[in-house]
Amino acid sequence: MTPPPLHNQEREFTLGRYILRRLLSVIPTLIGVTLVIFLFQRLIPGDPAVAMLGERATEENVARIREQFGLDRPPFLDRDALAEGDLAGFFDSQYTRYFSRLIRLDLGESIHRRIPVAETLRERFPATLELSLFSMFIALLIGIPFGIASASRRNSTLDGITMVSSLIGVSMPIFWLGIMLIMLFAVLLQWLPSGGRLSTGIEIQSITNLLLLDSLITWNIPGFLDALQHIILPGIALATIPAAIITRMTRSSMLDVLQEDYIRTASAKGLSERIVLFRHALKNAFLPVITIIGIQVGILLAGAVLTETIFSWPGIGKWVYDSILGRDYPIVQGVTLLIAIIFLLVNLVVDLSYALLDPRISYD
Amino acid sequence: MDEVKLELSAVDDFAVREHRSLWGDAWRRLIANRTAMIGLVVVAIFLLSATLAHFFWEYEPKMDLDYGAKLLPPQLVATEEIDVHLFGTDKLGRDIFRRTVHGGWNSLRVGLVAVGISLTIGGFLGLLAGFFESINMNFWESLTLMTVLGLAMGALPAWIARQYFQMVLFAALGASSVIVSRYVEEANKFRRFAFPAAGALIGGLSGWLVGGMVALVCGILGLIIGFLLAKPVGGDLFSNVVMRVMDVILSFPSYLLAIAIVAFLGPGLEKGMIAIGIVGIPVYARLARSAVLSVSKKEYVLASQSVGESHGRMLFRHIVPNILSPIIVQATMGLASAILSAAALGFLGLGAIPPEPEWGAMLGDSYKYLSSGAWWAVLFPGLAIMLSVLGFNLLGDGLRDALDPKIRL
Repeated sequence: MTPPPLHNQEREFTLGRYILRRLLSVIPTLIGVTLVIFLFQRLIPGDPAVAMLGERATEENVARIREQFGLDRPPFLDRDALAEGDLAGFFDSQYTRYFSRLIRLDLGESIHRRIPVAETLRERFPATLELSLFSMFIALLIGIPFGIASASRRNSTLDGITMVSSLIGVSMPIFWLGIMLIMLFAVLLQWLPSGGRLSTGIEIQSITNLLLLDSLITWNIPGFLDALQHIILPGIALATIPAAIITRMTRSSMLDVLQEDYIRTASAKGLSERIVLFRHALKNAFLPVITIIGIQVGILLAGAVLTETIFSWPGIGKWVYDSILGRDYPIVQGVTLLIAIIFLLVNLVVDLSYALLDPRISYD
Repeated sequence: MDEVKLELSAVDDFAVREHRSLWGDAWRRLIANRTAMIGLVVVAIFLLSATLAHFFWEYEPKMDLDYGAKLLPPQLVATEEIDVHLFGTDKLGRDIFRRTVHGGWNSLRVGLVAVGISLTIGGFLGLLAGFFESINMNFWESLTLMTVLGLAMGALPAWIARQYFQMVLFAALGASSVIVSRYVEEANKFRRFAFPAAGALIGGLSGWLVGGMVALVCGILGLIIGFLLAKPVGGDLFSNVVMRVMDVILSFPSYLLAIAIVAFLGPGLEKGMIAIGIVGIPVYARLARSAVLSVSKKEYVLASQSVGESHGRMLFRHIVPNILSPIIVQATMGLASAILSAAALGFLGLGAIPPEPEWGAMLGDSYKYLSSGAWWAVLFPGLAIMLSVLGFNLLGDGLRDALDPKIRL
């Protein structure tokens, strides 16, 4: 059943309410996310302080860790303090301490290097961002044209090849692809570097810390080329799955739209195929694709852990891998939190833009 | 005349056609689909070889060591010095073919168990959420829900005051809310005040036995719980709560969450299974819920409701069989991504503990001596991952077309 059409004013009212509700729904989810990340540290088997520092930790270090994590406090609420009439003590727990530190943007300290996690995060995040943006660019560059072409020539050879390769792309273990790319292009052919962001000796003045952008701003062509050489292989590896998904999504969304009456009308009145495809179909096929692109951001950021590890890319993904090996839990918590928040916000933006762009959607 | 006769016999044929079940039809469509058959064959080869190898081809990973045969390229014919090594050997001289076949047992097992976990928990939650969202609860279901709700919410003040009898009292409060709304007329007048007051009394008075502050906190909690229990809640609330929890899990990119969970739990195959399983729960919960919501508006469900069939019978006789198709398709695709996640965990050193063979772990291992140029050590385990995942994806695609040409995922 289709709802009766709304008057403009009514529509704006429900739209406003939808946007407000969607914005507010982020708050409980965010609190839930911090709770999940806090609960991580309770998964550590045995005494967390000893697990983090190893068996031969000094008394002083163990005391420091206990203090940092508030391990001498109960996890959520202190009922013993309450029984003695101490209301403030009742709420003074590991979680409330963790949460209040988060609000002050304090993600704790790295256990081994004793540097604030937030500081290193700021330092390393641009590398991950650059790699993710570059991969997204490649994924869109491949996915959208091939999706459109394969939808407009349905059941052709091109369509068959596109669909098979996109299925292979979805099934690709990207860490394996990364290794094979290194094996082929860096070890055997020696065309491209096997890892890192820049060759030694090349310097790029840092402005945004996105090397490709910075080198263009300062018109540093050797720097730009070197950075480009380094980003190509990890970029391709990371872009594989999103490219495959975007291809499939663009294709199926285009196929849906191409069956609509107005497309038949447009071709019937003699418009060229190109105009029908790009002006009539693509515009309407794009909405579902946008939603999928939002989800890809999560895949990219999570995929960064594997890709950066393989290509020694100095971003947050490689950092998480090193921290997992070194049992530096605050770093794992901090990065997971950051990625979850980015993912949450991107999906929020996608939902909102979807609501604003598509007049047909209902907000109940 | 001839033509008419022909038509009649065609109708006849149709009428006496051998009975075909829904699943039989789906199977016929599946084997008619070439890509689906490729998928099925690939999946069957992997499952069979892994199972047969595990039970009939002895392999002791701890004893497998041969420094004399270190890093040999694939060797198809045996010579005097070297045995046949179909896929070559790794840096410890272990035969990669043997380890790849045996690794399948571990890799596929992680995928299967993980999907089993997410399917059972997620499917069950989604089923209940969807069902009670679309169909009104009867008296006994409502009574159970409110009692459990009272018990669960009462657990907090009970824990604070170390008086576990409070839980029972709050459970009774929840149950009485349902009874009052059924048997007492004009209940709305007083219960908005009576229930919070009763809750505050339960919490406050029993808390008083421990101390003044405890009485205060428990009293306030009791007031809130009483307020929430005052009116029997419907299934929407249950559905809402379940779906909000699912949203929290979904707000992490899925396998990053799995990686983080195992990072804290410590490496191991079983932990990987659990982590990947937990991360997959929301997918099935959402799918089952939305499938139930759409099915429960269908005429046959309304009909069974109107003739007074029990809710259990409605659920398992009419709803579950009709939502199976999308769930089977999703589970097949889910297997593909679970195997990928498992391999990723193994690669990061969070899966199987060496020297146990597992595809991801084998890759993570051989990646370390990449510069030696031993391409075979990384090619074959990775190919195994990709082909098995591809097989499940092809099969899932084919199943979707075969089970219901109309459904979309």
